[in-house]
Amino acid sequence: MKNIVEVKELTKEYKGIKAVDNLSLEVKEGEILGLLGPNGSGKTTTINCILSLLNYQKGSIKIFDKEMNPDSYDVKREIGVIFQEVAVFEELTVYDNIDYFCGLYIKEKETRKKYIEEALKLVEIEKYKKFYPKELSGGLLRRLNIACGIAHKPKLIFLDEPTVAVDPQSRNNILEGIEKLRKEGATIIYTTHYMEEVEILCDRIIILDKGKILAQGTSDDLKVLANIDEKITVETEEIEEKIIDKIKSNKNIDEVILNKGTLIVTYKKGQNNLGELIDCLKENKVKYTKIYSEKPTLNDVFLNLTGKELRDNV
Amino acid sequence: MTVFKTFWKVVKKYKGTVLLYTIILLVFGIINMQTKESNINFVGTKPDILIINEDKEGKLSKNLENYLRKNCNCIELKQEEIDDALFYRKINYMIHIKKNYSKEIMENKNPEIDVKSTRDYNASLAELMLKRYVKVQNVYKTKIKNEEDLIQQINKNLKENTTVQISSKIDNKQVENASYYFSFASYSIMAVVIFVICLVLSSFKEKNVNKRTLTSSMNYKKYNRYLLIASLLYALVVWIIYMILGIIILKDIMLTPRGGIYALNSFCFTFTSLTLALLISNLVKDKNAVNGIVNIIALGSSFLCGAFVPQEFLPDNVLKIAHMLPTYFYISSNELLKKIEVINLKELQSIFQNCLIMFLFAIFFIIVNNRISKYKRKVG
Repeated sequence: MKNIVEVKELTKEYKGIKAVDNLSLEVKEGEILGLLGPNGSGKTTTINCILSLLNYQKGSIKIFDKEMNPDSYDVKREIGVIFQEVAVFEELTVYDNIDYFCGLYIKEKETRKKYIEEALKLVEIEKYKKFYPKELSGGLLRRLNIACGIAHKPKLIFLDEPTVAVDPQSRNNILEGIEKLRKEGATIIYTTHYMEEVEILCDRIIILDKGKILAQGTSDDLKVLANIDEKITVETEEIEEKIIDKIKSNKNIDEVILNKGTLIVTYKKGQNNLGELIDCLKENKVKYTKIYSEKPTLNDVFLNLTGKELRDNV
Repeated sequence: MTVFKTFWKVVKKYKGTVLLYTIILLVFGIINMQTKESNINFVGTKPDILIINEDKEGKLSKNLENYLRKNCNCIELKQEEIDDALFYRKINYMIHIKKNYSKEIMENKNPEIDVKSTRDYNASLAELMLKRYVKVQNVYKTKIKNEEDLIQQINKNLKENTTVQISSKIDNKQVENASYYFSFASYSIMAVVIFVICLVLSSFKEKNVNKRTLTSSMNYKKYNRYLLIASLLYALVVWIIYMILGIIILKDIMLTPRGGIYALNSFCFTFTSLTLALLISNLVKDKNAVNGIVNIIALGSSFLCGAFVPQEFLPDNVLKIAHMLPTYFYISSNELLKKIEVINLKELQSIFQNCLIMFLFAIFFIIVNNRISKYKRKVG
């Protein structure tokens, strides 16, 4: 598959502080690339540099094999952008808003009309087309924001945290919409700090922090970097130190943490870790209210790579 | 065309504001017209005079008295009441014909007639009539020696009338109304142009909408050109609306060369207001701030420059400040148009100068606007 986006050694500084530091990435045709990182990690700055909204000190950017600059209107014709903040006219109806932004790309009225109807359908806001933005809920506004960015059927779509402060129903709708866009053949760059979203959506993930790429690969590739296989959480009342030592004696265990009645046991490997732990607790007559097992998450990867949690910064 | 069409869709959302300022103009304009009386009509008036004729037997003095009685209101008073009557304007003029007046005229002498006057325009009118009579009498007294013939000749001469043609047909009331309408319109035009242009452009230039436009395939220079043309067209539409209203209200003036000058003056002012609106829209992005700014600029300059109170009543200090605003020169032209009797190039020189000053203001606003845009691009 050919590269749709090629970024090489991109560096962007603000008053001597590097917001993006020697960043290189590639996006393949039809791929959904997730840019994951906490707020201030350089995700939006990277996107703005790629879109020529910001000047940068070093590096090169190619989209569809062409150098990207502010006057690359033929390249921009194939790009759709959905920014973090809602960008619509308060004075126009939902339909007129989509019509305006679609009209910046497509002149033919009939084609535009067809595309607008399809965009309304994709984000499921057909019945609100005569509404004004102030009459819409936050979730519906986000959906309108997406419809405005993709109505002209772009081949490359940038989605910059489209689900921030969105209700669960709208979030699901937005994620379903993105899936539909992928099925239609669009290449997508998706930035977020919600790891669940990138795990569901993205073919490949780049983890960013302080403007640098910490790791990249598929979700499974990255989880290897977490250095753990399983995490078991036990909610209990009280547990003696000697019992904790007994649990720790299992050679598969990486770490045991007791924090305010919650016991977290992480395993490097092993096949029946949960069963063995339950047996151990029964033997020592430890009472517990809840016990559950989790596979490592991208948060664990981030924690392992940086020593801090993704959610800490959210 | 999308940008152009959307500009008008957004403008449509603010039609209520345009309507409001237009209604304010019409209400104040009509109230003002109702309170002014026309002074185009001429009414014949007769001065109140007192005649004391001591030449009872003289036919010439009797003829003079008859002539004055015919053309003036003669009041009968006692000798001691005369001074008070003049002081309290019961009479405007007192004529005292002395004894042997007729006899002395026939002897080709120049007998004196004593007069007392209130020195107002009614007294002048009475004096004019007396002088006319005496002048005619003096012309014929040397040639005609018969008293009866002299009287006949005097009366014949005085009967002759001259046809008077009024060359100026200016209806002062209409001209005053027109000046008031156009001066007050400075407030409405400025408010409507600045308010709507600033709000519409702030929607287009809103940070996120602008970002989306910058990433689109629309050429950004072309996009800005569309917005500029649409703004120009909007200002033109506002001007046309106020001209049509002006024609409806003041058709007798508006369909004359004077009306054309009012229209030209307001066109220059509308253009200057547009350039100011474009400058403000470049500086202010917050829609909530626009309302306050419009009030400060449109209302403030209207007060300072004499849109509501004529410039002649404004203190010198206020007028000095007003010179720094384009509205002053616009209203000044309206005031001049009120005073000009005949429209010709010489009389209009000052008005054209004011138009030029307004254009200089417009150029100044355009230059400042460009400088700010360049600075913003450099910083951004």
